Formats: sequence, C-alpha cells, structure tokens
Amino acid sequence: MTVLIRRLAGHLARGLVMILVVTTVSFFVIRSVPGDPMAAKYEKLVEQGMSPEAAQRAVEVLYGFAPSGGLWQQYVDYMTGLLRLDLGQSLTVPGVGVSTVLFSAAKWTILPVLAGTLLSFLVGVVLGVYAAIRRSGKLGDALAISGSLLHGVPQYVLALLLMAVFTTLIPILPAGGTADIMYEPGLNAGYIGSLIQYATLPVLTYALASYGGWILAMKSSVVTVLGDDFILAAELRGMKRGIVFRYIARNAILPLFTILALSLGMLFGGAIFIERIFNYPGLGLMLIDSITNRDYALMGGAFLLITGAIIVANIVADLFYTVIDPRVRSGEGAP
Amino acid sequence: MKRLAAVAALLGLAAVTACSGNTGDKSAAGGAGGGGGLYTTIDGNKPGLDVNGPFNPWSPKGNAFAGYNVMKLAWTKNHLTDPNQFYPGIAASWEIAPDNSSITLHLQPNNKWSDGKPVTAEDVKFSIALAYTQGSTAFAITPGAAGAASEVEVVDDKTVKITQDMENPSVTFVRGVMDSAVVPKHVWESVLPADFWDKLKAARGEGADADKAREEITALAEKVLAFAPPKDVSAGPYTLERMNPGEALLVKNKNFYNAANVGPDQVKLLNYTGNEQIWNYLIAGKLDSAPFTAVPTDVMKRISATPGNGVVKGFSPVALGLAFNQSKKPYDNVHVRRGLAYLINRDEITKIASPEGGTPAVTTTGIHQKPAADWLGDELGKLEPYKLDVAKAEEEFKEAGLKKEGGKWTLPDGKPWKFTINVPAPFSDWVSGAKAITSQLNAAGIDAEVLSVADYPIYLEELAAGKYDVGFWLIALGPAPYNIFQRLYGASNGWSVLGGKVKHAEPGKNGNWMGGPETIEVDGEKINPGELTAKLNSVSGDEQKAIVGKLAKAANQDLPVVQLWDYVNTQFVNTNRFTGFPENESDLLRQPAGVWIQLGMVKKKQ
Repeated sequence: MTVLIRRLAGHLARGLVMILVVTTVSFFVIRSVPGDPMAAKYEKLVEQGMSPEAAQRAVEVLYGFAPSGGLWQQYVDYMTGLLRLDLGQSLTVPGVGVSTVLFSAAKWTILPVLAGTLLSFLVGVVLGVYAAIRRSGKLGDALAISGSLLHGVPQYVLALLLMAVFTTLIPILPAGGTADIMYEPGLNAGYIGSLIQYATLPVLTYALASYGGWILAMKSSVVTVLGDDFILAAELRGMKRGIVFRYIARNAILPLFTILALSLGMLFGGAIFIERIFNYPGLGLMLIDSITNRDYALMGGAFLLITGAIIVANIVADLFYTVIDPRVRSGEGAP
Repeated sequence: MKRLAAVAALLGLAAVTACSGNTGDKSAAGGAGGGGGLYTTIDGNKPGLDVNGPFNPWSPKGNAFAGYNVMKLAWTKNHLTDPNQFYPGIAASWEIAPDNSSITLHLQPNNKWSDGKPVTAEDVKFSIALAYTQGSTAFAITPGAAGAASEVEVVDDKTVKITQDMENPSVTFVRGVMDSAVVPKHVWESVLPADFWDKLKAARGEGADADKAREEITALAEKVLAFAPPKDVSAGPYTLERMNPGEALLVKNKNFYNAANVGPDQVKLLNYTGNEQIWNYLIAGKLDSAPFTAVPTDVMKRISATPGNGVVKGFSPVALGLAFNQSKKPYDNVHVRRGLAYLINRDEITKIASPEGGTPAVTTTGIHQKPAADWLGDELGKLEPYKLDVAKAEEEFKEAGLKKEGGKWTLPDGKPWKFTINVPAPFSDWVSGAKAITSQLNAAGIDAEVLSVADYPIYLEELAAGKYDVGFWLIALGPAPYNIFQRLYGASNGWSVLGGKVKHAEPGKNGNWMGGPETIEVDGEKINPGELTAKLNSVSGDEQKAIVGKLAKAANQDLPVVQLWDYVNTQFVNTNRFTGFPENESDLLRQPAGVWIQLGMVKKKQ
C-alpha cells in the first residue's frame, strides 16, 4: 500500500510539472498563432451593412475583453489566475468564464465518446478472442478482415457514410444536434429517447472507428497467450474449457486495459471531424470555434483540459495495472 | 446465456423503436407546435447557438435573435440605393426632418413586453444609452464621428425625438438610429449609472473631463456586453422558451403588438457550424426557410428534388473583386490591370465558382450591377465593359512594357512574371474562382497559381500586411454609397476619416495594402477618390449621384479591383407547412424570417 501511495505521489508530482510545462508552452504557442480575428469580425459587420467606422468601434468593444499588456505580464496574470482555478473569460461569449464554456461542451463529448469507446472495447475484445481461437476458420478470418478494414477507414469517411445512409437514404436518424428541443429536458422518456436518438450516429461512428483496433489488438494478444506454457498445462490437466478461456482472456486483456485507460484520457480531445459532421457541440467543435475566433483563453483552457485528462489517464492506467497484474504487484517489496 | 441474449435483443429492439418513434416530423404535423404550427429555420446572423450566451442583443453569441425575441426600432428595407427605408418595428411611424437633422419616432401604441409591462419611450431612451457604450453608427462618443446623435428627448410616453449633431452630419444617421435594438429598462436598469446622460454630455466636450467621461462610458461596454438578464423579456413576436446546443425553441409572445397576425405558434432555430449542415436539413425537408448559403450545383439539384422546397432570389449588395496590391510590380501599372481584366472570362468564372449565388459582373464600377443601373443610368453603358478580348489584353500588356517570350509573358526587365492569387481555404467559391482564373491566365501565357491560407483571419492579416500581390476582396457593400466606395477608396487604399477630416497614408502604412495613388485622372479631371468617398457620407440627391458617377468611372478606368461577380441573395423556403414567404426581389429578403413573421406574412398552410 505504501508503495502504491509513493507511486501515486510520484505520478502526481510529475503530472503537475508536465501541466506547468504544457501550459507554458501552449500559452506562448497560442499567442503566436497568426491571424487577425478583429479584421474578420469587422469584415462581417460591414458585410451586414454597418458603416466602416461603426464596425471598427463595435469590434474594439467586442475585443475589449481580450487581455492587454505585454506578453510576460499576460503570462503572469494567466498563471496567477490558474492558481485560483480561474481560466479567464471567453472572447466568443463575452462575460462568460472559460470553465463554464468548457464544461458545457465537455458533457457532449465525454458521454458519446465514452459510450462509443466502451461499446467498441467490449465488442472488439469479445470478437478478438473469438477471432484468435478460430483463426483458422472462415468466421475468424472474416472478423480479422472486418477489423483491418474498419481500422483503415478514416473517422470522417465513416461519419459521412453513416450520415448518408441514416439521414438521407433511410432517414430514421437526425442529421445534427443533441436532442429535440420539443422535449422538456429531464428524466422523462421522451427527452432520454431523444438524447439517445441524436447520439446514435456519433456513438456508432466512434464505436466503428475504434472497433478495428480493439479486435486486432485482442486477437494478437490472445494468440500470444495461447502459446504460453500455462495454457498448455491447463489443457493437459483437463481443465474445463470455460476455465481455460478465462485464463486466456484475463492474461490477454491486460495490455488492452492500458490502451483503454489512455483512450479514455483522449476523450477530452474530442473528435473534431465527427462533431463537425454531426453538428454535435462537444469539445472538438468548441476548439475549432475558439481557434477561428482566436479566443486565446478558451483555446488555453481546452488544451489544459486535454493535457490534464491525458496525464490523469496515464496515472490511472499505471495504478490500475498495478492492481490487476500480480507480476507488477510483486515488485512491492523491491527497494 | 441464451436468456441474456434474448433480453439484450429485446432491449435493443425497444431502443430502436423508441428512436424511430421520435423521428416523426412534429413540425409538419403541427401537433406538438400548437394551432399555428412550428416554424423551423436557421438564424444566419447567429451561427453557433450557445447555451451559455445571455439574452443580450449586443452579445455576439447571445440568445437574442433579431426579429424573433429582439426588436429594433425599425427593420431596414433592402432598397437598391436608399439606405433610409424601413418596415415598422418598435416604432410604428416616424418623421424625418427635411435636412435630416432629426427623427421623431412614434412607438407602437399597444406594444407590451412579454412580462406585461408597456414598451415606452423611456425604454427606447435607455436602449440608446446602452447603444452609446457599444459605439453604434448613430450613437458614437468618438469626437467628430459622422452621423452621431446629439440629443435624445422623450416627448411623451410613446414619442422620442433624436437629433443629429449637424457639425458632422451623415445621410445614414436615420438608418443608424433605426437599426438599434430596444431592451426593457426595468430589466437592464442596473447596468448603467444613474448619471449616464450627464457623463455623455461631458463626453461630448473637450479636455480632460471629456476624456475621462469617454473612458467611463467605454468602460461600461464590457458590463453591457456581459449582462445576462435572468429571463427573456421580449417585445418581439416570440420569447425564448428553452434551448440546447443544437436547437432553440421560441414561443409566441401574446403581448406583441401584432400577435394576432403572427402565424407560427412556435419557432425552432437550428444550430449550424457549416454550410453542409444547412444542405442536409434542406434535403431532409426540415427547414421552412433557410438563409443565404453557397450551394454547389449537385447539392442544389438534391435540395430542389425535396417536395415543397423552393428558391427565392433577391438583391444582395455584395460583389467580389480581384484586388491588386499596387505597391507591387507589375500591378502598379494600370495597363497590366486592364490587360488582366480583358483576359478574365467572368461568365465562366461565375458559372464555375458561384452558379447559384452570383451573377457575372457587367463591368467594374465598385457597385453591384442592380443599384449601378439606378445610380449611373445611361452612363453605365458607356463604361468599358472589359469583355473577354485577348487581343486587347495583349495590347495593354505591351503598353505596360511586358514581353511575350516562348508563349509566356515576362516582366519588362525580362524576369518571369508569376501571378499568384491568395484565397482563404474555407471559402470554397473563392477557391474555385481563383482556380478558374489561373487556368484562364495560364492558357493565355501567364504563369499563374493559387495559394490558399488556413482561414479568414490569417488571410486578412496577411492581406493588410501587404504580403499578397493579388487577392479576393468583397466590394459594393451597400446600399449606402459611402459604404460602397469605402471598399475601394477607404482604409484598405490609404484613406481614413479622423475627426471629420480625410487623411491618406502611404502604401504599406496604416492598413493601406492596395497602394493606389492618392489622386487619379478621370476624363481629364484630377480627383482624390478618398475625399470624394468621404463626401458621400454628408451629401445627398444630385450631388451624391454626381460623386457616385465619378467614382464609378474612376474604378472602371483605374481598376483597383476587377469586379468578378455580384452576389445574389439566394434563399430557400419550403411551402409544405407554411405559406406567405417573400417573393423574388422582395425588399425583405435581407431580414430574418422573424421579421416576415412579425409583419404577418407567414401563415400556416391550411
């Protein structure tokens, strides 16, 4: 237990240093992104019929929220704010805190990506085991080929394909949005059904896009385990098929758990193409919006969230591995 | 295991059934939407609904939708030449002083806020105070700002008089006033200090006190932008009921002055982040109307194939120009610019790049061809049309000293001439247009290429920094002639108006990336196009028309840009559920559907 705590403390210390480094680097990188969002806003206003002078004044007001002062001063202010958990104000939605915007978008990314990842993990792992055991049969081959195919197809192609099939050819699912606004939000069947309906295509895309990876990884892992002596020994001892299968699965799945934990960390990165295609307003879309508007505070907040999530996922993966793998646990007594 | 599989299969079937059950088009049935039906559309002015946004018309992402739950004093008509024509809004009628020095507004007599309180002249005056903090056209505190109001007087409970500062008047003063949003004073009162009008009076003066007062008013801007009323109190035909990141639901405001004639009981606004999403909604027949969207020909066919879908076209005061950086060779030579104008086949370019949303420019005047006919009359036909003419182009190039060697044009010193058009990558019509132009120029022996940049902010930054030789530039942004010619002879070409005085900056300085000469000769007369443009803000009638004529001729002869195509306001409507949409060329087509609805035009189909 002491080793576990020591390990956790070490991870946290390293994580904090990484967050500090990433925050600093991203702060300066973000502010060196080229482009003049004020000019773009000005152009939009004059296109709408506003006089050039009025458009100029309006833009100056809108961008009055932007931090001012030298870059170092801005950096010091930003880091001081971070210590108070203040990520600053969004330029895109004046007066609204970055954390509010981030958390508002995060839920629309986390839930579908989590659902899609877990679904593909479960299906991929089960079918991966089957494909490995029956690797000489037609079904095993078919499963492996399906995995390779889906693994090779880019996410956005899958998304467009599903969109074309289920919103145009067989129009049974909505093309975009999060829920039908006609339903009062809450724990009622209509609203929940609507949430599921709108999330179906994004979730299906996430699941199909990552299914190939899981099935191939699991198949490969199982094939390796199948050649291990302890499986042969178990079979020679006449153990039941179910028990042998459990031995195989438990040992083969270990490396996949690490990948799963890291994948969950990547949840916060969103899936820009999928969210864009299905007009699903998660972190990916928010990130695009913030880059287009050069909303530095929001971009910084988003990168911080993504970085933090990946670091936490790494820590969790490592600790989880310690718990589930006796070989790692046995190192407890080591100096 | 089998039982588990059976249960899972049943649950899956139930989920699919539930999902399928929800896909029924409730708006078509009108059941969920009530008696008047549910109108589904997209607010083109506010792409990207944001649940975090406040009910604030000044917030760029506020949940305040003009025409629906936000009312302006009046709604501007899409008139070809007159920017001062309006449909009633909060103001039912108005009187404009003959010298344009004031406007007296008579408010709708029976209008109430959605919380039941009457809409009064005090609400209007308070909203004008808020507008001052945002620096709008008519309500500016910048010293010397043209067309700024000098006094706002509440005449009675339903009458407001606004007077223009005649030291630096503008013909667009009335438009600036009318284009103001009105919010309820009783909700917003805490945002402004009680002595606001005293501060404003002080701000109009000179000296340290005036500077301090201006600073204090400017400092209020952020407070106003960030203000979030606890609930939507609207004087418009609708109030916001609820929203999620994908959709907003607005319900009829029974207190609206024209509620009896408002057709749909509910309006659903859909979020969009890209044109392709609008196309999908249109193909699925989900939208009752949609704003102007660039649509490729094949998508257009699919949209048109959906039952009920139709297209309404009207005037859009925007045109696209191929703009030159005249501080770079050989574009400083007018003969090169003219030669290029003769080589570009505008009909073909428009057909490729903007078949539905554009019409080939008849020539370069800086004005969209529809108002150009009104402004210029017979003179329009006398201008050089720059029709495709390779021989004339070659003559012009030779006049400029360019040489043709081995089928390729070179610069006068024999060095290769590389013609590069820069475009922002996300603008698909611009990219297609640029590619078509380079293809035509390459065929004529000019080594031409297209370079794209990642997005519009980068494009504008690099354009303003003078990094490009040639780029695309929106022009003809009317209807006010001052705004139109500002695009050719404004800040981008060196002229700016400071404190009512026109100044010219050297090429490469203060945003002057076009780099044209300060004076040019038109029909033997030396003119300063920037000064003439600035004058358009204050003169009217024949004098204004004469200046427009001179500037159009200057643009035609000097070609700071080659006008490629004039945009067409192409909108989509679906007549399956509602009728009464504006006809082609309607002067309402630049207003959101909420304005059509509030004027009593849109009705549920019987």
